[in-house]
This record gives sequence, structure tokens and C-alpha cells, in this order.
Amino acid sequence: MKNLTTKNKILIIILILVIIAGIIVTANIGLNFDLKYEKTQKIELNLGKEFEISDIKNITNEILQNQEVIIQKVELYKDTVSIIAREITEEQRNNIVEKVNEKYGTELVAENTEILTIPHTRGRDIIKPYILPFIIATVIIIIYMAIKYYKLNPLKVILKTIVICILTQLVLLSIMAITRIPIGRLTIPLVLIVYMLTLIGITTKFEK
Amino acid sequence: MKKIKIITFILTIILITMIAFFGVYVHTQNRMEDKVKGYSYAMDLEGARVIRLKLDSGTRTVIKDGEGKEVKDAEDLTDEELTQKGYTKEEEPYNKDETLNKENYETSKRIIEKRLQELKVNNYTIKLDETNGDIVIELTDNDDTDFVISSLTSMGKFEIVDSQTQEVLMDNNDIKKVDVMYGSTSSTGTAGTSIYLSIEFTKDGAKKLEEISTNYKTEEDEENTDNTTADENTTDENSAADDTSSESEEQAKEITMMIDDEEIMTTSFDEPLRTGTLQLTVGQATSDEKSLTENVQKASGMAIVLDCGNMPLKYSLEGNEYIFSDITDEQLQIVQYVVLAIVAVALIILIIRFKTLGILGVFSYVGLASLFLLVIRYANVILSIEGLFGIGLILILNYIFINSILSKIKKEKDKEIDQINKETYKKFFIRIIPICITVITFTFINWTPISSFGMVMFWGILLMAIYNYIITKNIFKIIENR
Repeated sequence: MKNLTTKNKILIIILILVIIAGIIVTANIGLNFDLKYEKTQKIELNLGKEFEISDIKNITNEILQNQEVIIQKVELYKDTVSIIAREITEEQRNNIVEKVNEKYGTELVAENTEILTIPHTRGRDIIKPYILPFIIATVIIIIYMAIKYYKLNPLKVILKTIVICILTQLVLLSIMAITRIPIGRLTIPLVLIVYMLTLIGITTKFEK
Repeated sequence: MKKIKIITFILTIILITMIAFFGVYVHTQNRMEDKVKGYSYAMDLEGARVIRLKLDSGTRTVIKDGEGKEVKDAEDLTDEELTQKGYTKEEEPYNKDETLNKENYETSKRIIEKRLQELKVNNYTIKLDETNGDIVIELTDNDDTDFVISSLTSMGKFEIVDSQTQEVLMDNNDIKKVDVMYGSTSSTGTAGTSIYLSIEFTKDGAKKLEEISTNYKTEEDEENTDNTTADENTTDENSAADDTSSESEEQAKEITMMIDDEEIMTTSFDEPLRTGTLQLTVGQATSDEKSLTENVQKASGMAIVLDCGNMPLKYSLEGNEYIFSDITDEQLQIVQYVVLAIVAVALIILIIRFKTLGILGVFSYVGLASLFLLVIRYANVILSIEGLFGIGLILILNYIFINSILSKIKKEKDKEIDQINKETYKKFFIRIIPICITVITFTFINWTPISSFGMVMFWGILLMAIYNYIITKNIFKIIENR
């Protein structure tokens, strides 16, 4: 720490505090997962005709009281709608079916529409396919860095590369945990972008 | 001459941009058809096949003897015959109550996941309901999806049992590896290709197999009027015979090979098997391509199912439907407009800072972006959300490159454009070598979101290196005359 400027020291302290806060938040209330990865309930309505997702969204907004909803078209003819929400009660299902019948002139029977439960996706299942590629790439990069910048002390270069790569990812995840940004489909792309930018940053620093 | 070159350059860029963003429409069968290839989207942007696996609540009829042991080959007996023999008929659930626990649900999920990996499914999500064992899988929809699905519900239970006593001699734990092999045959008179399922056993399994093949050796009956030879109804080291039904069955001790409680073959052995492998013929030797493909697919399915281990629970397919992505075209368009707006602002800054050079820099930038979008389509890159971020990253990197080359031209007026270009290239590409390493690694990964990002970045970086060397450098050379 003795070679660091005051500015850098403050930055490091802030980053460490952010990571600690992130760990505390994750340990106590966990990460906030996107609806797609949460345990949800689903109903499917076969309208027999094409429909607009925005129209269905209006109906679900009214009945499910603006709770987060995923609306998808099902099968080739796109004439069936799948509605996914954290919770759909029988009463809510009945009301949705009633409103859909009104809107599209269909004669769907609420009792025939099953409320299916979709289990949650585990965090480790989401990240599992990405671990090996990241490890392989990082190992090759570390070897490259150690050879390319051998004059800067290879051990120091290796340590710095590993620490900075891990730190930036931890900071990103901590910020997501603290700000309750949902872990979803954009998380991995964000991790990738941060990883790439970190690599540029490290190389620029070593080049200087 | 200078003006002509500049105008040619600008017109070419405009043409490429028009093609990339608006397409080339040709009148085909009373309608206008865009001849420019469309984008290929991954599961998250296009849609997925959603499979719902539920624990099988069905039952199977089991016939038991007086001692409570299960009796096979008694299905054809009438109730009276069963009573005479002291057998009883019972309905047994496929999934017994004591097997319905979290551990078995987890094992089943793990085996299904392993099968998906072995079947080279490169994008899927798997969800397990720990309370009731339900499994929901989302996977890429393509020509192989139905075959993949058909391989998921099979239990993969492998057993070699004594045909008479039903004693289990070998099971899944003895299997090391299962492969599919080909072999040319002409024994039936017509040449064809046979498909074999090659089961390699573990060290212990190989010992057991040797013992079994010694104990269950075919006993040649000299008095047998049928004169059945050993070669006709036994398994040798390289091939297993099909069902045997000779009269010599009565003399020989036989084994029955079963997969998922279904009898695959009953046989005895010609000589002891010491190689630790067993090869089963799948289908008949054929030269017909369709039949051959069917046999290969059947064998591959069996090989993967056996290779991944035995599922402790029986699942049945409850739901199988194609669901479109919840990311709609409108949402994608919004993202597109936002990116365009950001790029426009960045390019305006470039024009303000570098004036005429800036305008040419902008044209060059737009040209690269357009060409890049065309390359992605024709290189068959599958676009996932990660791939879209890759496009964004390439746009940022190219902006940084153009900006640094323009800054250098503005600052170092004495230097030749070639020299400036060389220095910028060196500095820029040295800094992105780690990115190049990552990108190349990712292109080889069999997981669509990652490979999509890798492929997009690969083509983007390659195009940046070539395009800026040929186009950007030369256009600055023309205008600066250095």
C-alpha cells in the first residue's frame, strides 16, 4: 500500500466497502432474481386467433395489480398466450379468462385452465456454463501477461491481473445486490462487458 | 481525381449501409422479397421448446412367486395358471413412495442435464421443483429437438440377468462407456452397414463379464437333431447375436439383457469374453441411407442414455410446446433506436472535433458498422443477448480506434498517414490482445450465448483490422495528401 497515492487508497477502500456491503446484503436477503428465474405460476389460454401482447398486458395489469408479468405467444400459429406471474390465484385466473373472452369473443372456460407452477432456476445453474470458458480464457491471458510483461515481475503481473479481474466482478455483483438490480438475462452480458473493459484497463496500465 | 475518389468512397459506404439496414428487395411471385440474409437468433431472442417432465404416476403389473420374488416371462399365463403355480399378480407403482425424495429428484435432474450435454444441446435451462420432482426444461428448437426429448424420459436402466432365476448379474454400475460403432457386413448376401452399440465395462465389470461368459457358455448338444451351431446363436467377442430360439436353449444357461426392463436379447456365450466390451447390433445391416440414419440415431440415443447412468425415477412427458421469446420485435427496435441515438451523438462529437476529417471518419465508421452487420448474417452467427452486447462492444472499440487515429493526425501534422496508422494499429491491437484471446476461446465453447459473443467479437475485430487498413487509412491519406 505504500506506493499507492491517496486517491487510489480512497478508491480501494470504497471498493472494499462496496464488496462488504454486497456480501452482507446477499447473505441476509439474497440476490434479487428476475421473474424468468423465479418460482412462478403460469396459465395458458388458447384464443384460436392472433392477438396483441399489449392487449393481454392491459388485462393482466388490471387483474394482477401491476405485478411483473411475462406474456409469450405459444406455438407456430401464435394463437395461444402464456401468462407467467409470481402468483396467480384461482380468482385472478377466472377474471383473466373472463376479460379475454370479452375482448376476443372466445368462450374459454376458466376451470379448464390449469394454473401450472414453474420452479425457480438456481443461481449456480445459471452461471455453470460460463465458469469453464472464463477460467480457460483467464488462464491463457495470465500466461500471456506474464510473458509479455516479464520485465515488470511476472508474479506481480499475474497477481495484479487475477486480483483486478476478481475485484471488478465482485464490485459489479455487489452493486447489483445493493441496488437490487435483478439477476436476469442481462447479468451475464454485463459481466462479459465488465470483464472485457477490465482487460483493456489492465493492459493499458501495464503498457504505460 | 481526389474528389472522384472521395465521392466513390462515400457512395460505396451509402450503398453498403442501405443494403445492411434496408435490404435488397426483388419482385418474387407477386411480392417483394428481401434477398439479404436475415439474422439467426438464439433461444433467448427467438423462442424455445419448453418441456415439462412429471413423475410417472402409473403402475406396472408384477407377477410374484410364493416367496415374493418377481417372475418374468409369466405375462402370458392366465389367472388360473397363475393360481395353480402359486403366483400372485400385483400392481406396483413405477415410482415407489420411498424413492420420492429430494436426493432422487436431484440425481434425476443431474442425469438429464448430463444427457443434454452429451446430446450436444448448446443452450438450455433446467428447473427442478424440489417439492414434487417436476422438471421444466427450455431448449433450443431445431431439427434434433424431438430426438433429444425422446432421450430424456428413458430411465437408462441396464441389467444382465439370469434368464431362469432373474438374478441380476450386471447393471449400470458396471458400465464404463458406451459408444456407437459401424461395421460393413456382407454375410446376408447383400453388402450393408451394421450399427453396433459398444458397451465398455469397468475393471470389475469386465471380470464379471468374463465370469458370466464362462458360466453361461453354450453347451453344444451332439444329439440335437437341429444341428444348431454355436456361431448361430451365441455372442462372440465382436458381436452379439439376436434373440436365440433354438431347441438347445433348454440345455444352455442363458442370460437376458434388459434396458428399462425391456428384454433386448437372450443369449449364451460361445467363448469367454476377456476384452471387457460387448457389442450389440442395432437394427439390421443396411445400405439404405434412411434406415442407416434411423439405426445410428437409435444407437446414439441408447448409448447416451446408458452412458449417463440410471435415473432413480421414471418421468413422463407432460408438456412439450414451442414458446416465443418474451423479448418482442418492438423491444428490439427500441434497443436499436437507443443504440443509434448514442452512436449519432458520438459521431456528431467526432465531426465537431475533427471537422472534414471527422466527417470522413464518420462515413468510415458507418461503413464498418454496416459491413459488420452483413458479415454477421452471412457468417451464420447466432445472435443471443450476449451477441448483441458484442455488437455494442465492437462499435465502442471502433469508435476508440477512429478517434485515436484522428487525434494523432490532428496532433502530429509532420508525420505521414502510413506512419500514424502503423503506430495507432500497434498501440490499439496490443491493448486488445487479451480480448482477442478471450474471443477466440469463446468461439470454441459449445454454449450458444458464449459462442455468440465470441463469434460476433471475432468477426468484428477481424473486420476492424482489415477495413480500417484498407478503407479508413486510404481515405485519410487522400484528404490529407500526406
